[in-house]
Amino acid sequence: MRLGMSSNRQQRLCVAMMRNVAGVIVLSLLLVFVQLAAGESFSPPGTPKNIICRSPEKETFTCWWEPGSDGGLPTTYALYYRKENSDTVYECPDYKTAGKNSCFFNKNDTSIWVTYNITVVATNALGRAFSDPVEIDVVYIVMPNPPEEVTVTVIEDTNWPFLRVSWEPPEKADTRSGWITLIYELRIKLENEDEWEVHPAGQQKVFNIFSLRPDSTYHVQVRCKPDHGFWSEWSGTTFVKVPDYFPRERSMWILIAVFAAFIILTFAFIWLSYMKIHNLKHYVLPPVPGPKIKGFDKKALKNGKFEDIFSSLVVSDFPPTTSNYEDFIVENLEVFVPEEQELIMEDSKVLQDDSIKSENSTCDNDSGRSSCDSHTLLIDKGGGDKEEALESDQEGSHDERVPTSPEEAMEEDPLACCDEKNSPDISEKGKFTPSLFSPLPRYNLMNQPNPPEMGKKHCLSDSPLNPDSLPSYFTQPPSTKNDFISNPWECNFNHKQHPLHPQTTGKEHLQVQNEISWVHGDRTEASLGVQAPSVRSTEYVEVQRVSGGNTVLLHPVSAGQENGGTMSHQTEHYSRVKTVNNDSGLLLLHKESTGEEMGICLSEEEVESRATSNGYTASITPTSEKPMVGINSALPILDDRIASGYVDTATMFGLPTY
Amino acid sequence: MLMTVSQWGVWILLFWPQHLTLSTPLDCRDDQGSLSRCTSISQEKLLDRVIHHAELIYRVSEELCSLFEELFIPFPFRLQSNQAAYACITKALPIPSSKSEIEQISDKWLLHSVLMLVQSWIEPLTYMQISMERYDHAPDMVLNKTKWVSEKLFSLEQGVVVLIKKMLDETTLVTVYSDQNTVQNDVQPDVLESVMRDYTLLGCFKKDAHKMETFLKLLKCRQTDKYNCA
Repeated sequence: MRLGMSSNRQQRLCVAMMRNVAGVIVLSLLLVFVQLAAGESFSPPGTPKNIICRSPEKETFTCWWEPGSDGGLPTTYALYYRKENSDTVYECPDYKTAGKNSCFFNKNDTSIWVTYNITVVATNALGRAFSDPVEIDVVYIVMPNPPEEVTVTVIEDTNWPFLRVSWEPPEKADTRSGWITLIYELRIKLENEDEWEVHPAGQQKVFNIFSLRPDSTYHVQVRCKPDHGFWSEWSGTTFVKVPDYFPRERSMWILIAVFAAFIILTFAFIWLSYMKIHNLKHYVLPPVPGPKIKGFDKKALKNGKFEDIFSSLVVSDFPPTTSNYEDFIVENLEVFVPEEQELIMEDSKVLQDDSIKSENSTCDNDSGRSSCDSHTLLIDKGGGDKEEALESDQEGSHDERVPTSPEEAMEEDPLACCDEKNSPDISEKGKFTPSLFSPLPRYNLMNQPNPPEMGKKHCLSDSPLNPDSLPSYFTQPPSTKNDFISNPWECNFNHKQHPLHPQTTGKEHLQVQNEISWVHGDRTEASLGVQAPSVRSTEYVEVQRVSGGNTVLLHPVSAGQENGGTMSHQTEHYSRVKTVNNDSGLLLLHKESTGEEMGICLSEEEVESRATSNGYTASITPTSEKPMVGINSALPILDDRIASGYVDTATMFGLPTY
Repeated sequence: MLMTVSQWGVWILLFWPQHLTLSTPLDCRDDQGSLSRCTSISQEKLLDRVIHHAELIYRVSEELCSLFEELFIPFPFRLQSNQAAYACITKALPIPSSKSEIEQISDKWLLHSVLMLVQSWIEPLTYMQISMERYDHAPDMVLNKTKWVSEKLFSLEQGVVVLIKKMLDETTLVTVYSDQNTVQNDVQPDVLESVMRDYTLLGCFKKDAHKMETFLKLLKCRQTDKYNCA
């Protein structure tokens, strides 16, 4: 029975072995499955990737790598490098300075002359992993640190503030010696914006930013880069606040001006388009008016009938025919002409208001006798007749006055002289006396209403003038014959005419003497043989001036001055009455040599002188319509001074010589 | 045991690393876009860098010299530019000194001259650096500049060596021509002498730095245009 027990043991051993093998197989299968299911938990390390080396200042550099999977086991990494063309393998000297998974090369290990070949190896329990090698040239891997000390200031010198950004190169980069050359770049944005505005700045370390928005905050950043290398990181943000200012003035006004101009142009264009072109053309370029002649028919012209056309042009009333010269006479002077002496006085309208002394003059305008050309004209005041006549003349009546006997006596000499000169005048009597005449140019004395200084121009007839006679208005009531009428008027007769000078002077003298004798009854000149009648109103009147051709200002000449026949007065100017127009005017002649004005002696009556259109004519209107005989003649032209209508006796020099 | 062996074999088979890849160094890959792809820097670039290096060294040495003169040297003692040539330590070096000599020398000797100059100045500059620290109130700028020049000179030497290796295709030993006469560490001269010596040294170094730069630029000119360089 022993034999069965040993076979049992063998069978048990075989079964155990088979169990072990099966267990092993099962276990191994299980392990395989487990391994397949659980991944690589235990595996050699993965290869390091992305080795990056950077040098901040071109004197040292650092390499970083990215480790792969570690295979579940602790893995070590090692960096090996070889220098250029050398097979000597060196290991990284410093793994710690630059942090994890990095290698730092210090100055002694860094060379800019050679390239580096760097490999990182990962090692763990199961194996190693080698990374791809990387070729390094230190010069080309320079990536500096960001610029430092970035400061932004707001410059507000002008109305338009701007930002000034300044910075410093990074500490480590040696730009001062030129070891590294850096270029900079900055960017700016508003606080609430997203996009940056980038500005390259070259190698400068200062930058200005303009066109800022007022009252807002800006963010500024700066970075740098070497000439061969990488851009640094952006520096920390610097905040700056721009103050509030008002920059819009100019631009706003310009905008407004442009807008307004645009609107105005638009309106103008619309207006123009509404206006008709025709109207516009007429507005801008008005048509040239064509000739329009009354009665002229253009079409007739085209027809060629000239006679008809031009006949229509003839105006019936052209040239104007002088029908009545009297129309030109404003007022009539009534001149009382004594038989012997005719004094022509000129009077203005103003004198009509006053008593007008008529002056008789024996001189005739036309005769040209020098005897008549006494610088003083005897003013025959006449008597009441004269004065009456004057007054009546003032009224404009034409009454022929017959001079009284003294007047007649007075008239004789002048009449005589007048006969010599102007005989036709003598025939006229009563009307007016062309007392003065000379070949001087005649004057037309216009009537002037109220000449201020003139006043009246009278040749006073009766009495010698008072010394204190005023050359202004005077109202001399012809009261007495012997009154010395302060007559500012004096008829002065210029007897300084050359052609008649020798002749006239004598006669003037004679005349004067005669006149004197007449006027001044008490004079001593009675030796002249002149009748010395009771010249009551004969006075010497001096023409002060002639105003406007209308009036002759006469002022009485003092008796003393008349002595010796020197009728010269300081301010006397003598002129002669050239002629007396036919009942219309007394022509005063201007003495050419002395340039004196004329004096007009008016009749004892109110004398008004009127100037005709053709020269100065003292229009002494006789009371009657008796035409002036012989007197009216063409007289020489007026002197310039007289032509101006103003004869200023006071300003004239060259008193006539007797 | 057998199970264990078989087990271990199974384990090994199972856990054999499946992705064992040998990382072979690939061809030159540039980190940046258009830079060199090869494992080495090109010769032209190297020469440019060396020239740039030499320019910087000369510029800084010039600043250092003028700064030193202003700070430490009174007027009567100031050297003129043409006086200190004979007193320089490198006068004994077989380097060309005239323009005609330079024209005749070959590229190789030009490079070797530069190397000689550079190597002869490394020691004195180090000594000068030490000497300056002994001054009472030497400003930091002077010290920093001296240090900088010293470092850069050392770097320049390396560059010239590489350049020689690249251009002339020869490997030369880096040898330092040290003149023991210039180094007198044990003697403590008085301040004035020390200052004057440093001053002279700086002047000489400035001239030699300019020589280095000129040689290198001449070399570059020869590289680009062989017929127009003087």
